[in-house]
Amino acid sequence: MKAARILGALGAAVFLAGVSAAHADATLDRVKSRGTVVVGVILSGPPYGYIDPATQKQAGLNIDLADEIARRLGARLETVAVTPANRVQFLQQGKVDLLIPNMQLNPERAEIMGYVPTPYGDAGGGFITRKGSGITQWKDLKDKTVCVSQGSNYAKPLAEEYGANVKGMPSQPDSLLALKAGSCFASVHDSAGLHLLVEDNPEWKDFELPIATDLIPLPSVIWVRKGEKDIENVLDGFVQDWYRTGWLFEVTRKNRIKITPLLEEWQAKYPAAKK
Amino acid sequence: MSESWLPAFVAAARSVGLNYGFLLNAFERAAWIDGVVVSIELSALGIVSSLIVGMVIAAALTSGRPYLDRPARAFVELVRNTPTLVQIFCAFFVVNMLISQALGGPQNNPLTAYAWVVIVLSLHYGAYHAEALRAGIEAVPRAMRESAVSLGFSRREILTHVELPLAVRFAWPSLVNNMVDLVKATSLGSAIAVGEVTYASLMIWVNGDNVLELMIFILLVYAALTLLVAGLGTLVENRLRMPGYGQ
Repeated sequence: MKAARILGALGAAVFLAGVSAAHADATLDRVKSRGTVVVGVILSGPPYGYIDPATQKQAGLNIDLADEIARRLGARLETVAVTPANRVQFLQQGKVDLLIPNMQLNPERAEIMGYVPTPYGDAGGGFITRKGSGITQWKDLKDKTVCVSQGSNYAKPLAEEYGANVKGMPSQPDSLLALKAGSCFASVHDSAGLHLLVEDNPEWKDFELPIATDLIPLPSVIWVRKGEKDIENVLDGFVQDWYRTGWLFEVTRKNRIKITPLLEEWQAKYPAAKK
Repeated sequence: MSESWLPAFVAAARSVGLNYGFLLNAFERAAWIDGVVVSIELSALGIVSSLIVGMVIAAALTSGRPYLDRPARAFVELVRNTPTLVQIFCAFFVVNMLISQALGGPQNNPLTAYAWVVIVLSLHYGAYHAEALRAGIEAVPRAMRESAVSLGFSRREILTHVELPLAVRFAWPSLVNNMVDLVKATSLGSAIAVGEVTYASLMIWVNGDNVLELMIFILLVYAALTLLVAGLGTLVENRLRMPGYGQ
């Protein structure tokens, strides 16, 4: 028993030493000394992050934001494709400097990671299913098999509040594939992407988003390692500036994302500089 | 229910820097325990059905009839030369969709992700069992087979009464090896959202800061399961041992 305790304490000490060593190496200094900023992005489809079929290059709102951050930091951008299931670990283990994976702010996440206080957008869950499902509201989902991404913040409300049988697939494309294959009754992901999917893609013409309201719409923020205030502050300045210059609305519209009332509210806080 | 030791365990773990807080959340705890149960179920179902598949294929492989052994050989090579994970994806995304279409819609398709994991693991490890059993059947002394023929045994009787009983004994250590492997392969179910222990843990740690803690638990669960299978294997091996034969 005593030996086990000592072993446990030893393990914890080694673990904590590792954590504090990571903290001593502040992200901002590292970005400057390397000349490269490593950003974790999700490539799950338009409009947030995807590979443009025409150019074979990464595109989408999250890539545009990452590009702009790198430009402002005077660093080269290196993107790392993460998945909802592994993004937190990629950040915590230092494989990426920051995350722009279209990940919304909630208390659980705020407890384990740091974030840029000013949001750059907002997103809620959309519900995609075959036409003629008879579903019109979230509470119709009781006992239905609903697929989400592993790590999605929609899993909890779907299961606990609406009693759906939630299945977490490795990523959004897997979930949508399972929906098509009939293994899921429906899939729930960020609504903007799903709207584009049924509008643009003839392969999805038999599917629809029959629920008008979004599930738990929340602000989207840029995530950094916990306690790294210096990079938080610098990035916060960038985001506020994006509102002031109007660049954020421009790039949001360019990526065919709707300007939501919430986004307009934030814009009002940082009015465009008068010349 | 006496669960007073749970908060005590969580507090003790916290004092050494381990966060097992999920055990105090009824929802997450139930999901995790359910995951352990599903892992055990998948392992048990997989072991039994893979052994049946293995025996059928081994019988076909050693039948000496081209219309049986050629398809069996092709199946074994196909299964052995493609990754298990790819087979699970292929079954769940492609074959499942084709079956749904043939049945007139997904609502008529009774096959769940759970069923596909059992089917794929049974066929996959069935192929490995078949090769082990074939080696066992081929190790049966020719004299023994000839004696059976001279006693008027039919082909099937020779297989079930002479060859298989000996072949199972010869092949047993390899079969146990495959079974241990099968237990570990049930974790692949997490890729298609089958709620076994890896998946259950994953769904908890993606929302928290407890990968290390859950990893420790997962390793313990698999170690316990595989040790159990290996232990039972040794027990059966001793049971099957024929005094004076093969020693």
